[in-house]
Amino acid sequence: MSDLHLTIDGQAVMVPSGTTVFDAARLNGIAIPTLCHQQNETPVGVCRLCVVEAGGRVLSASCVRPAEEGMTVATNSDKVRSVRRTLLELLMADHPSPCARQAQSGDCELETLARLDGLASSRFSKRLSPRGQDDSSPAIAVDHEACILCDRCIRGCGEIRNNFVLGRRGKGFNAGIAFDLNRPMGNSACVSCGECVVSCPTGALTNKFVVQTELGGEPAEVEDLLKLPYFQNVSGTFLELNRNAVVRRDFRAGDIICREGEYGSTAFYILEGKAQVYLSTPIAHVHTDGSNSGFLRRLGSRLLGRKQDRREDERDRRTIPIDASVDLPYDNPVAELGPGDLFGEMTCMSLYPRSATVRAATDCTMYEMLRNVLDIMQRNKNIKGRLDDNYKRRALEDHLKNVPLFASLTPAFIDSLRDRVELVRFGKGDVICRQGDIADSFYLIRIGFVKVSEDHPQGELVLNYLGRGGYFGEIGLLGMGSGGRRTATCSALDHVEVVRIGAEDFHRMVDAFPDVKRSLEAVAAQHLEQNRQRLARAADVPLDAFLAQGLMEAQSLLVLDLGKCTRCDSCVRACADAHDGVTRLIREGLRFENFLIATSCRQCRDPLCMVGCPVGSIRRRQSLEVIIEDWCIGCGLCAKNCPYGNITLHPFEVSVDSQGAAGHRAVVTKQKATSCDLCTEHAEPSCVYACPHDAAHRVDPNEFFRSIISGQSGVSEKTDAH
Amino acid sequence: MRIDHTHRPWLAGSVLAFLAMTAAYIVYALRTPGGPRGGTAMGLAFGVAGYAVMLFEGLLGVRKKVPIWRLGRAQTWMRGHLWLGILTLPLILFHAGFAFRGPLTAVLMALLVIVLASGVLGAILQHYLPRTITKRVAMETIYEEIPHVRVQLRDEAEQLVTTLAVEAEHDDKVRFRESYERSIRPFLDAPETAASPIFDSLRRTTPAAFHPALDDLENICIEEHQLSRQRRLYHWLHAWLLVHVPLSVALLVLGGIHAVMALRY
Repeated sequence: MSDLHLTIDGQAVMVPSGTTVFDAARLNGIAIPTLCHQQNETPVGVCRLCVVEAGGRVLSASCVRPAEEGMTVATNSDKVRSVRRTLLELLMADHPSPCARQAQSGDCELETLARLDGLASSRFSKRLSPRGQDDSSPAIAVDHEACILCDRCIRGCGEIRNNFVLGRRGKGFNAGIAFDLNRPMGNSACVSCGECVVSCPTGALTNKFVVQTELGGEPAEVEDLLKLPYFQNVSGTFLELNRNAVVRRDFRAGDIICREGEYGSTAFYILEGKAQVYLSTPIAHVHTDGSNSGFLRRLGSRLLGRKQDRREDERDRRTIPIDASVDLPYDNPVAELGPGDLFGEMTCMSLYPRSATVRAATDCTMYEMLRNVLDIMQRNKNIKGRLDDNYKRRALEDHLKNVPLFASLTPAFIDSLRDRVELVRFGKGDVICRQGDIADSFYLIRIGFVKVSEDHPQGELVLNYLGRGGYFGEIGLLGMGSGGRRTATCSALDHVEVVRIGAEDFHRMVDAFPDVKRSLEAVAAQHLEQNRQRLARAADVPLDAFLAQGLMEAQSLLVLDLGKCTRCDSCVRACADAHDGVTRLIREGLRFENFLIATSCRQCRDPLCMVGCPVGSIRRRQSLEVIIEDWCIGCGLCAKNCPYGNITLHPFEVSVDSQGAAGHRAVVTKQKATSCDLCTEHAEPSCVYACPHDAAHRVDPNEFFRSIISGQSGVSEKTDAH
Repeated sequence: MRIDHTHRPWLAGSVLAFLAMTAAYIVYALRTPGGPRGGTAMGLAFGVAGYAVMLFEGLLGVRKKVPIWRLGRAQTWMRGHLWLGILTLPLILFHAGFAFRGPLTAVLMALLVIVLASGVLGAILQHYLPRTITKRVAMETIYEEIPHVRVQLRDEAEQLVTTLAVEAEHDDKVRFRESYERSIRPFLDAPETAASPIFDSLRRTTPAAFHPALDDLENICIEEHQLSRQRRLYHWLHAWLLVHVPLSVALLVLGGIHAVMALRY
């Protein structure tokens, strides 16, 4: 290879043939400002800031202009400075100042260059139409406003990390960077390696700091993290930026790592040692019954398991779903986690309460991490495969078998599914399948909550919320409803992971197991009928205000006729008396005409209380009535989520293993969520029965509001819903 | 309890019972030499029936103490309490033959009349006042919560005036504060009358910049006034029980003593 001789800013230099003018200058100590060029990326010459006079008709971008023999280059002439200044002005006109990076660390390259050039303001007007931000990734913040389209991130993603997720979208003024086919970053195939953040010269791509969260323990060393397969291909600089979001923690055998029901924001990854995961809350539900018989029957509440008190529609679950790679056996809810296991994902990603208590079974070492690091880890190609394998190997069978409809699947068939099913992740708001699309898969929910809704001209009608263990997609695959197309839209309410079973495997399953097919068809037919009725009902009642208040969502309402109610609170006292002093009814709520819709469970059709239950213990019966399963851990999230304040926590004293003293037991107070059960022990709810003034009524809202619309005031006896 | 069409069967039953006992009394009075007396078999029967009804009336209180015992719906008890209670007066009058022959029986009769009158008054109040409360107290809250809500409202008003973010002259702000202390705070302490005259007057004398704050303060005062009204109406709705219940207990006790004494001596 021959050498070239050229002059740069009056300095004679010699460089190998094929060197660019930019590199020739750099190798000889002459700095040319640039934004789009990095040494480890292919030059593209898009920012044009590195323009130089090289003897041609126009200025050349030095990063892409090859040096030539005898060339004379001026990098800092008046003409070059003038052009560079105009370019900076143009870029600054389209850049928020200070951008996130400038505000965080003061090293936005564009703003630094502008400052060095003495550019205080731009002559050009700002862009009027905003380009927006993308906050969907837990680890990386995207501010399209600050993007200067230098493409460094695109080349970092493709050339350096070979991920090829980032690209360009749009043209001219509307051009921008895009993830996949312009998806939100958090929902794209991005692996959160952080190379784009490290490459970005401005605040367009910055790492997210999880503020005000201090993790106890020693911050993990980047070198140690990079040695782990799970952080391979992650930028070291990016990990360094997230250094405080992951700590290494050592636990001694017997230490409690996290407790069920507690709120947290971290996940744990076990490096060494074993941990025991268990539920300390009794596996039982609140049962209210009478201790005496006959008309003097007095109610009391106690905890009973399903063996002592089997409730209507109670399922024969074998396992309890928790926020870990294993489920807990129903009869003895204890399991073991070992090296390579991850737990606390839902708590970390969606801030749900801890689903189980974890205790160090041996001395252990773990990484405790915040959601940005978990996201990096989960998206890593290596760990994703390993976690998915872990799940398929250890939990898929339990997961499938826990759905009563699939109880008859043989182990051999499940084995055959293991390698064929796919674990798919969705971010909050992501549409998993859309109404009207061709049905191509069946989904089983592993983590998170899915909203099932139908689009109608009047708006969206929520049909159901599905949590862990729930499934969807069978109606379309069975060809019911709309000939092989989706009958509803299913979207992720939070971080959702689903097991996707392809149409081919689904059909193989229903062909091989006719009873599964029959059950699926029966349930699907039931759902379709329920949906039809709901739609008819929604169209039937033109009370917009009531729809807005959620009253029409109710299956059953406690209505107080304020024209009769003397505010004596007999109803509240009766409710408290019936439930060990814990009332499930408050004489306050929405008012409509002369009626007060008291705060008591409405058996809603849109049961928000079910969203987020960390152990999936609240669900509907076929009758749409809410049932709280025995493995409720009393975290209170459902009570918090209920928009009407209608779920209460019933405290019980229970005996548990005393920590620190092996073999000893201690009495602690645990809680169980309860909602109004309409005093099913009796023919009439206690609140209604105890009202001396004929003011309290349990009514079917449909009938009740229809009677109001048609001008009938008051509540007739027949509207009592029991 | 609202006396509406659903009470017709009880009304009819009570009227029939009244007519039957009146007819029986007339026959008994005409046929008894020396006139009807409490000590006769028929007189005793009226007395026993009257006292039994009184006992039933008194049991309503006990029934309310055990709201979840399945002893019959509370509203059935209440209807019985209302309509059978009225029958006690004729029963006791028929028992005594419209004569009060001793101090105890005179006291008993007086007690019965007062208890009955207070009960009727209570029934009337409970018929009308719930609707009045509903209509006139749109911002009704649970009675026991009223003191807390009032404290919150007063704090809110104080906060509003203290952190007033209005671009105005300092003197205007000082005057606004003075107006608050002179007119609004006393109202909040005793919100007995309507608030609107105070605020109409303040709006005329206060710069427009303060009017949004005045609107907020007026809303607070309106709520205070409504809560005050709720408390007053609530007292009316329940205060009669202070007479009715203790005198009913006294009536039952003295009635029992009267029965024992009359039968024994």
